[in-house]
Amino acid sequence: MLQIYTSGATSGSFRGGKQKKGNVTSEQEEEEQPLQAVLVADSFNRRFFPISKDQPRALLPLGNVAMIDYTLEFLTSTGVQETFVFCCWMSNKIKDHLLKSKWCRPTSPNVVHIITSDLYRSLGDVLRDVDAKNLVRNDFILVYGDVVSNIDVSQALQEHRHRRKVDKNISVMTMVFKESSPGHKTRCEEDDVIVAMDSKSKRVLHYQKTQGLKKLQFPMNIFQHGSDEFEIRHDLLDCHISICSPQVAELFTDNFDYQTRNDFVRGILVNEEILGNQIHLYVTQDGYGARVSNLQMYDSVSLDMVRRWVYPLTPEANFTDQQGQGCTHSRHNVYRGAEVSLGHGSQMEENVLIGRDTSIGANCHISNSVIGNNCTIGDNVVLDRAHMWNNVHVSSNVEIHQSVVCDGAVVKEAVRLNKQCVLAYNVVIGPNLSLPEGTVVSMHHPEEEEEDDDDEFLSDDQEVGHSKDKTRQKAFNPAEVGPEGKGYIWKASMNDTEDEELAQCLWGLVLNPDPESDSESEASEESQDRTFQLEVLGTLQRGLEENIVCDNLVLEINSLKYAYNITLKEVMQILTRVVLEYPFQQQGTQLTTLQYTGSLLPLLKTWSPVFKNYIKRAQDHLDCLSAVEELFLEQDTHQTAMVKVLMKMYQLEILEEEAILKWFSTGATNDKSRQLRKNQGVMRRMSLWRKESEEDESSEEGECGR
Amino acid sequence: MPGADKEADLTERIEAFLADLKRGGCGTGPIRGSGETARETTALLRKVTAQARWSSAGDLMEIIRKEGRRMTAAQPSETTVGNMVLRVLKIIREEYARSRGSSEETDQQESLHKLLTSGGLSEENFRQHFVHLKANVIEAINELLTELEGTTDNIAMQALEHIHSNEVIMTVGRSRTVEAFLKDAARKRKFHVIVAECAPFCQGHEMATNLSKASIETTVIADAAIFAVMSRVNKVIIGTQTVLANGGLRAVNGTHTVALAARHHSTPLIVCAPMFKLSPQVLYGQFLRPHGLVFALTCTILSKVNVHCPVFDYVPPELITLFISNIGGNAPSYIYRLMSELYHPEDHDL
Repeated sequence: MLQIYTSGATSGSFRGGKQKKGNVTSEQEEEEQPLQAVLVADSFNRRFFPISKDQPRALLPLGNVAMIDYTLEFLTSTGVQETFVFCCWMSNKIKDHLLKSKWCRPTSPNVVHIITSDLYRSLGDVLRDVDAKNLVRNDFILVYGDVVSNIDVSQALQEHRHRRKVDKNISVMTMVFKESSPGHKTRCEEDDVIVAMDSKSKRVLHYQKTQGLKKLQFPMNIFQHGSDEFEIRHDLLDCHISICSPQVAELFTDNFDYQTRNDFVRGILVNEEILGNQIHLYVTQDGYGARVSNLQMYDSVSLDMVRRWVYPLTPEANFTDQQGQGCTHSRHNVYRGAEVSLGHGSQMEENVLIGRDTSIGANCHISNSVIGNNCTIGDNVVLDRAHMWNNVHVSSNVEIHQSVVCDGAVVKEAVRLNKQCVLAYNVVIGPNLSLPEGTVVSMHHPEEEEEDDDDEFLSDDQEVGHSKDKTRQKAFNPAEVGPEGKGYIWKASMNDTEDEELAQCLWGLVLNPDPESDSESEASEESQDRTFQLEVLGTLQRGLEENIVCDNLVLEINSLKYAYNITLKEVMQILTRVVLEYPFQQQGTQLTTLQYTGSLLPLLKTWSPVFKNYIKRAQDHLDCLSAVEELFLEQDTHQTAMVKVLMKMYQLEILEEEAILKWFSTGATNDKSRQLRKNQGVMRRMSLWRKESEEDESSEEGECGR
Repeated sequence: MPGADKEADLTERIEAFLADLKRGGCGTGPIRGSGETARETTALLRKVTAQARWSSAGDLMEIIRKEGRRMTAAQPSETTVGNMVLRVLKIIREEYARSRGSSEETDQQESLHKLLTSGGLSEENFRQHFVHLKANVIEAINELLTELEGTTDNIAMQALEHIHSNEVIMTVGRSRTVEAFLKDAARKRKFHVIVAECAPFCQGHEMATNLSKASIETTVIADAAIFAVMSRVNKVIIGTQTVLANGGLRAVNGTHTVALAARHHSTPLIVCAPMFKLSPQVLYGQFLRPHGLVFALTCTILSKVNVHCPVFDYVPPELITLFISNIGGNAPSYIYRLMSELYHPEDHDL
């Protein structure tokens, strides 16, 4: 059974119908209401670009079956009776696919409603629409169209319902997690989460994406919250399956700034005390659940499927009931569809799935690969972790490693695809070419993409028309795609303005845990410090050029301090740093020590009022000194200049004698700084200083006179 | 139109059954014993017979064959479905022959002469229309259903003939039939049961719990201890998933180990298998079927590890002493005979 709604025009009459239905159901017992699900068949990001330019992500084949079919099968097998599929990007294709599939047959136990709108821009929009149209009447399951899972959520559902009955609707959402230790292949690094939860009630106390951080912070109040047992878990894999109560949709409406589930979870946790809503989680040990959020995940989920981790959703089960999709399963997880021909001497090592009507030449070596329907593969081909979709032609002597080759692509003779290459639809590559790691080739020109970047949600036909015109205008580069090649290379780092989180990166973020930046907040602060430093530098520069009075400079720096929310201590340190680096900035880094001091000392004199404004207390002096030390530790060729700088600062009364002495006696924090001090022979000079200072003092006294 | 309604209802039932079969065997679907599956299949086939549109036995057989193919394809490891389809086909043949007046009994006897002359009298002979055929077929299927319902009891009734006092019995994994068999014997005799746990799914644990609830002295052992314990065992009684045409078994993983150990110690190996588990398939050599597995491996190098979990063992007929079915005890060498009584040779490939 199928009903199609388009938002807007029909919504009025639709709501009327629902209300009538609602009356009928309210008479029945609550338990008998059908289980509903909301399936979001759009990712609202562009991780799969440029592949998803031709085909929405939910329809991309995984093991020769569209991803949305896995999700629908998962929902149906957990007993969902009514599913609302929300589509936005290329909704027509999704609609066509679903109409043809078994889900829309009259016998399907799961009634699928398709709701399309070009206005959805995020999960938040979808759920707001769910609320506006009053679609859900009871607890519902929320999934994306690219979730592959065989988890039995009925247990989680029961727990959720029980909680809601006992606690009077306090719990609004139950998130389903799968236990899997860090380093597990299906753990998506972007989705790596750390969760603090109450062991007894399974209530989520804190939820944070780790994003490769080494150090994490937990708010204290979660530990003071009454309950006596906590767990902080990092061994959880987010399956992106959540059981939501109808309130979730309402909450999304109330908080129009919620875009993703992450926003929602954070919002609920932060406002827990005010609104009294709670989020729980359900951890399953067996079962499989993963979201294909990038190509890295696509690669691993596809392999897991072939390795039968998602049983019973295995290739030979043919759960979509499509004619001719069946295949046989033999040892070492080799699956063969109907009419597959294999040349003499070809080996299918392990974990290989070959679709129907595919022919493979002689002496090929295939392992861990999925090959679609109607492909032809030449002789002496090596395929390792290759994901080939339908109608792909591969000539002889080709090597493909961990790459995705989309529908209709042609790989000519002696081409080598290194790791993580992507050949999008209908691309032709070669002959005699080796594509470097991470190359993305598409028939769409990247620039054309940039142009209509903003209207990502244009209707398909318009888009296709556009692109056709443009492809004709631009010639292919034979150096990039080979003499007979067709396609344009896409740069992964393109469009860096679009999203901070590298939405373009097909293969997923490679998060190198950075030892320098220990925590998220620090990392962001560091960048703030950086901009502040540049601003201060600019200010000082201008001050020098335009002869601005030091008081005004102080004013400007102060306003910058508030703009960037920098503490006084940091202002002082950064200021010191900027001033000391100023000669390098102006005249290049290869200054001799003599030149350096020569240009720096006048500057110090000019800006001494600025310094004096910030360095007042004894602690300030020490902080300033440590900043000086830090800088000269970095510039170790100019260490000898340090004494002069210190002396000058002392003479200009920026620094006090006691402070310098104190710094000298206590400050040695590590070997290097100790070394620095020794080299300086500061000891030797110290006595000199003393003498000088005494003289100074006396002269000063004389000057001041009174 | 009631006819169309009926047919829609029928296809819906079949689809639901197929979906259940496909999801069977994992956590997401209802887990059923093969007895239950056999009953459901037969009931569904009865419904097909009653509600589908057919005018002659040939039509009906065609319909049943078509649905049967789909059902067996849905879950190839569940052979009972196919067996039941064959049984129903055989019933239709018999009923047709009876309606025509000729007795099918003579056809039962295989002879070289018959093998040479046969082949001609197939489908076109089933074109004749009989008014009472439908009722007769349904009646016969009902009989089959009653037979299916009684199988476990029939097998259990024979328990006292095989289990004696103070014997030590070994079994592996969990089989409903064996469980009933042992419980029945426990009403009169005292004996000790050793259960191999059958890792990684450990169905043996459940078996042991059920047996000890029936106050049978029970010990659970690890699979690795099977050989060590075998010397103490008087008798091995196991269940099976399928009995193959050659008298071999396709049984839960670990059964082959038990059978070999039993042979080494000359311990009798008795297989409790109801008739509906007899399958006309023959398998050669080692039958290994790496099956899907829901198995929590906590291992950081999981990406480099291939995990295989074979679910079934092939046990060759030489290792088996006796089959106990609902119609009595049989030697493995006699299985082919039972097979030809149960199924019509022309139906063997669906």
